[in-house]
This record gives sequence, structure tokens and C-alpha cells, in this order.
Amino acid sequence: MGFFIEVLIGGLLAGVLYSLVALGFVLIFKASGVFNFAQGAMVLTAALALVRSLELFGQWKWPFWLALVSAFLFAAAIMAVVAWGAERLVLRKLVNQEGIILFMATIGMTFFIEGLAQTLFGADVYPLNLGLPKDPLFILESLFDGGILVNELDIWAAVIAGMLVAGLAVFFQRTRIGRALRAVADDHAAAQSVGIPLNQIWFIVWLVAGLVALVAGAVWGSKLGVQFSLSLLALKALPVLILGGFTSVPGAIIGGLIIGAGEKISEVFAGPLLKDLGAWLATNGATGLGTVLGDVGATLTGIEIWFAYVVALLFLLVRPQGLFGERIIERV
Amino acid sequence: MSAPPRLFNEVLLSVENISLSFGGVKALTDISFDIMKGEIRAIIGPNGAGKSSMLNCINGFYHPQQGAITYKGVKRRRMRPHEAAEQGIARTFQNIALFRGMSTLDNIMTGRNLRMKTGLFWQALHLGPARREEIEHRRAVERIIDFLEIQHIRKVPVGQLPYGLQKRVELGRALAAEPELLLLDEPMAGMNLEEKQDMCRFVLDVNDEFGTTICLIEHDMGVVMDISDRVVVLDYGKKIGDGVPEVVKNDPAVIGAYLGVGH
Repeated sequence: MGFFIEVLIGGLLAGVLYSLVALGFVLIFKASGVFNFAQGAMVLTAALALVRSLELFGQWKWPFWLALVSAFLFAAAIMAVVAWGAERLVLRKLVNQEGIILFMATIGMTFFIEGLAQTLFGADVYPLNLGLPKDPLFILESLFDGGILVNELDIWAAVIAGMLVAGLAVFFQRTRIGRALRAVADDHAAAQSVGIPLNQIWFIVWLVAGLVALVAGAVWGSKLGVQFSLSLLALKALPVLILGGFTSVPGAIIGGLIIGAGEKISEVFAGPLLKDLGAWLATNGATGLGTVLGDVGATLTGIEIWFAYVVALLFLLVRPQGLFGERIIERV
Repeated sequence: MSAPPRLFNEVLLSVENISLSFGGVKALTDISFDIMKGEIRAIIGPNGAGKSSMLNCINGFYHPQQGAITYKGVKRRRMRPHEAAEQGIARTFQNIALFRGMSTLDNIMTGRNLRMKTGLFWQALHLGPARREEIEHRRAVERIIDFLEIQHIRKVPVGQLPYGLQKRVELGRALAAEPELLLLDEPMAGMNLEEKQDMCRFVLDVNDEFGTTICLIEHDMGVVMDISDRVVVLDYGKKIGDGVPEVVKNDPAVIGAYLGVGH
């Protein structure tokens, strides 16, 4: 039991990090109906700006806290520039266009932003130290034999993500800008006609998504090191979004938790079984088919890698709007 | 049946020699007319005559290549839609443009957007000035809801409402901004007789009680001739008639445009 809970908690904490990336997608999708493929690139850009400026300020012998705060401010400024550029150079030209056209534009932006960020800040692997404790921690030792092992950094990540989500929820539900954001998401022309300046709203929402990307980049970066593969996190966010629904902030959170926990639990408990099955297929498969079945068996391992996508696929078949998404009913 | 024409003496908006084209297609050619403060002004014409384009020019969705629009004494060539809204121009759309995911209440509340002044900080906390302001706006919105007789659908997401009610909510959102000039693009299209009568009543009441100037596009000639003070007739982007209903109704050019010219 203790081991199961340990795996579960590890998975949930990893899931929080998926949620952080998914959240950036949801924000932009809610406010502009755009599926922003560039979110992963924004995570990479923010993390690179953060780690490189932190390095530089460190070389200048600034005290650590000052260097850290300055680096965050610098990275936030970079994200503001990205948001401004996205609105000014891309979205403004595409007002009232189909969602698919805006989506294609963000694919183009992805390559541009990735390339530019790596040109400016470098393309190596950079370790990121935010001064967060990284020690392994044993909890609930009185309840379970040997206690439960958790990583302190993961707990911090969860706390940060929680605060971020609470802040965003308040911003969206309770402020005038929040209501304006929801209005813009529903209908561009109508929003303009009640006096909501579209350009300003788009800038704000991209900036918020950029700041979420910064937090995601900082947390992931301090876990894995800042490197190009951070931009591929966008691909992991996709199944989370399909599960949670593209328009729901709580959906992104729950979706991330389910995917994170599901991955770890299936890897630890179903993984060995599938591996045995694969091995059995390889040895006992019919002659001729043996090698093919062996290959199939080999792909059955590494369930952690494909689990999320299979879950997403099943969800698309059964409940395409996700757990919390808005059901779309077209009238004809 | 026909009451004596009402008299107006102050021009609210005047359109001078507006021309608008999309590529090679001329949507509007050299159109001039004016809207007096307090009147109900109708724009009519066959399909594709440029009526909606005209409305879109007035509230800044389209920018005419030639001509100018003078509103409250200020002449302008280009204006963006949210700026038009700031200056007191509200509108509804031919194809209903509501915020489908939001309730009736929230939709009408967005109409108050420009009138909300307190800072984000107070709004987020729901305290102090923001709380008072929210209550004040809610009160204004409830008045509109009462006025339009849509109390029963206050909390319903508008995407689920029937067409006639959606049109009414859209009118409510425009009214929430307390506009000086209200542009209505086919407010009665696709409605049954009863719904049309209701809508006519609301339009007349808005004009009467709040003194709002109204410019509307409508296809139902009976309605147009009944409720409007003056009518502009467009055909193929050109103005072919302008005047009180009695005159326009008997204008041979107008009859020709609608029925085809006899040979």
C-alpha cells in the first residue's frame, strides 16, 4: 500500500507540471479560439531567458536573490515582447479568420520563436538552480513501513502551480478584463461592438500565457535542465487538454493530474505484465509471425510514453469535448 | 393611421459622399444622408444593396475609401469599433452575435463594459468601490431585463435560447451601454408576427422613453413604414430615395427597385 501511494503521489506531482503547460494552451484558446501551437516554444524561450540571465547576473557577483528576481523580470519582459509581436505581427492581420488559419499561423510562429530564442540565448543544456530544495523526503513514516518517498522540488512545484491557478481563476471570474476575455473568445465582432478593444485583450492574454509559460519553464527547467526538449512538452499537454477539455482551467488541472498519475501507475504496475506478454509473444508466436509479434511485444514496454495518448484517443471516441469542456451543438 | 411627422432640429450624424469598395466590387457609391437626434431612421433596399455595409461604416467595422462621417459635430475618416462604442454608438447584428457560452445576465453585463471604472485590484477582491459599482451595474442590467421582459431567462446560457429571444438579449446588451445612437441590423428578421410586434414595441419604447436615436435596417415594409420617421433607400450601393415613409412609398424609383421596372 505504501508503495502504491508513493507511486501515486509521484505521478500526481508530475501531473501538476503537465497541467502548468496545458494551462497556457487553455488561456489562449478561451480568449481567442486559437489553439496556440507555439506554447511549447514559449516555455523554452522563457526558460532560456531565465537561465541565461541568471547566469549573467551571477557572473556580475549580484546577490542571489537580486539576480533571481532580476532574471524573472527579464524573462517576463521577453514574454511581453513575444506577446506584443504575436498580436502586432500575426493576430492583428488575421482578425475574424477561421480558427484553423490562426492555428497554422501559430505553427509558423513556433519555428520562428524557437530559432530566435536559441540564437539569442544559446542551444545547450543549462542547469537551472532557483534555490528550491531538491532533497528527497520521507513522509508518513508512522503510517507506512519505511515511509513514503517524495521529492521536495515536486512539492514546491505543486504549491506554485496551485497559487498560479488560484490567481488566474480570480482574474478570469471576477474582473472586468476577465469578462472581456470571455466575450472576445465567444465572438470577435460582438466584443468590438460593446467597446472591447480586441488588440489590447489579445496582448493581455498572450502575456498571461507567456507568464504561465515562464513558470512552467522555470519548474521544468530546474527539474530537467533547460534544453530544447522543453518545447516538446507541448506534445504532452495535448492529451491533457483532450482529457480536461480545451476551454476549462480546472479541466487542465484535473487532466494533468489524471495523466500524470495514470502514467506512473501503469508504468509501475502494468509495465512488467506487458513486458512479460511481449516476451511470451516473441518466444511462443507462430513461426513466421514470431518476429512481427516480437516487435509488437517490444512496443508494449515503455507504457509511460504512450499511455497518455491512448487515453486521449479513447476520450476522443467517447467524450470529445473532454471532462469539463463546453459541448458544442451546431444548429443547422 | 398616419400620424403627423415628428419634427427634429439637431443633426446627430451625417454621412457625406461615402464610397466603399472591396477589391473591384463597389459596395457603396457616393452615399449621403443624415440622422437627426431622437428620430427613428430606417435604411431599406433589396438584398445586396449595401445596407449592412453602411451600418458597418458608421460603427467603424469598415473604413470607407472616400467621404466622411460627422458624428456629434466631429468629422472622421477612420474609427475603430471600440472607439465608436466609447462615443455612444451601440449595435446589434444581422446574424446574432452573442456570447453564446455566457448567460443572458452576463451578456447584457458586457454591455456595461465601458462604464466600469474601478481598478482590477478592487475587482479581484470584490471589495470597496468595486462592490458598489458591481451592484450599481447589476441594477441597471436588471432594469433592462425587466424592460425587455426576459426575467425568466436571466441565468440561461444564450446558446440554448430560441432565435427570437436571442435577438432580444442582443438588443438588451446594446441598450446596456446607454447609447445615444443605436444601430439595429434586421432586428425582426426571421421572427413570427407576435415576436415582431414585441420587437416593434421595444424599439418604439426605447426611442420614446430613453430618447435614443435609432437607425435600423429592416425588410418588412409594413414595419418600416409604421415605425420610422424617415427612410433611406439603397439599391446596388447607390441612394435612390430619402424621405418620410409616405413619400418614399410612392417614389417610382423605389417601386422600380423592389418590383422591377415595367417595360
